Amino acid sequence: MTTPTYIGYQHPVFQVEVTAQSLGDFNLAIAAAPEPGQEHLAPPTYMKVIEGEHGSSRAMLEALNIELRRVLHVEQSFEYFLPIRVGDVLEVVRSISDHYTKKDGTMEFLVIESRISRTDQQLVGCSEQILLLRNI
Amino acid sequence: MTIPFAESTPGQRIAEFTSSIITPQILQAYAEASGDSNPLHLDKSFAQKAGFDDVIVHGMLGMALLGRLLTAHFAPQDIRNFSARFVSTIPVGKQIHCYAEVAEQSPQGLLLNLYAQPLGSEKTAIRGQARISVLAPK
Repeated sequence: MTTPTYIGYQHPVFQVEVTAQSLGDFNLAIAAAPEPGQEHLAPPTYMKVIEGEHGSSRAMLEALNIELRRVLHVEQSFEYFLPIRVGDVLEVVRSISDHYTKKDGTMEFLVIESRISRTDQQLVGCSEQILLLRNI
Repeated sequence: MTIPFAESTPGQRIAEFTSSIITPQILQAYAEASGDSNPLHLDKSFAQKAGFDDVIVHGMLGMALLGRLLTAHFAPQDIRNFSARFVSTIPVGKQIHCYAEVAEQSPQGLLLNLYAQPLGSEKTAIRGQARISVLAPK
């Protein structure tokens, strides 16, 4: 029996508006103090908040029948093309770009790719998240 | 720290700070602000069922702390990419020491190695890298 692959699974595309409140709450939670005049610019890991809006990460795992307690976030990367600013309306496309095993199948990994664009289709950034699915 | 980046050399530590103690309240605030409400970070009994002694710090909170090393010294628009490997989990109740070292310097910019290590631990919990496009700090 071959293991089913999740490669190609795509979450429904959604939009997120960046608000001053959301950015302010995030900066407070990470104890970041933006320089005066920079408060409207998102800090580098805020892209993860955008892509995770509406519980999208959990929804993807549920759609694939993956139990949350098995999941550990083991790698994350971001590429930045345009700054994320308060007032931006961003479109998020998330999909499973890879699914593989290591160590004779005992370690299973899932890669979620996200692409974030402005509504005029200009690409703002991309990210890649690697999850370890533990056998517990 | 105020080392001029143009004069920095590979291996040189150019920025560091130690966080406050990461309390369950901080994890709760991060969960609310980020939308990541995975109970592994909030619910002790869930964390124990998943094989941990207590709740663990969101990897993305640790990465956000590393991000503060970047935004304290560079304009957000000069950060080209940023990656992290969550090598080991960080238990709740620890301070986290974060520091950045120069990996490579070129006319195009800087490549930085970033590290997050819980105080009192020998192990680096998060290893990161970031590429900055310009040498002039903000």
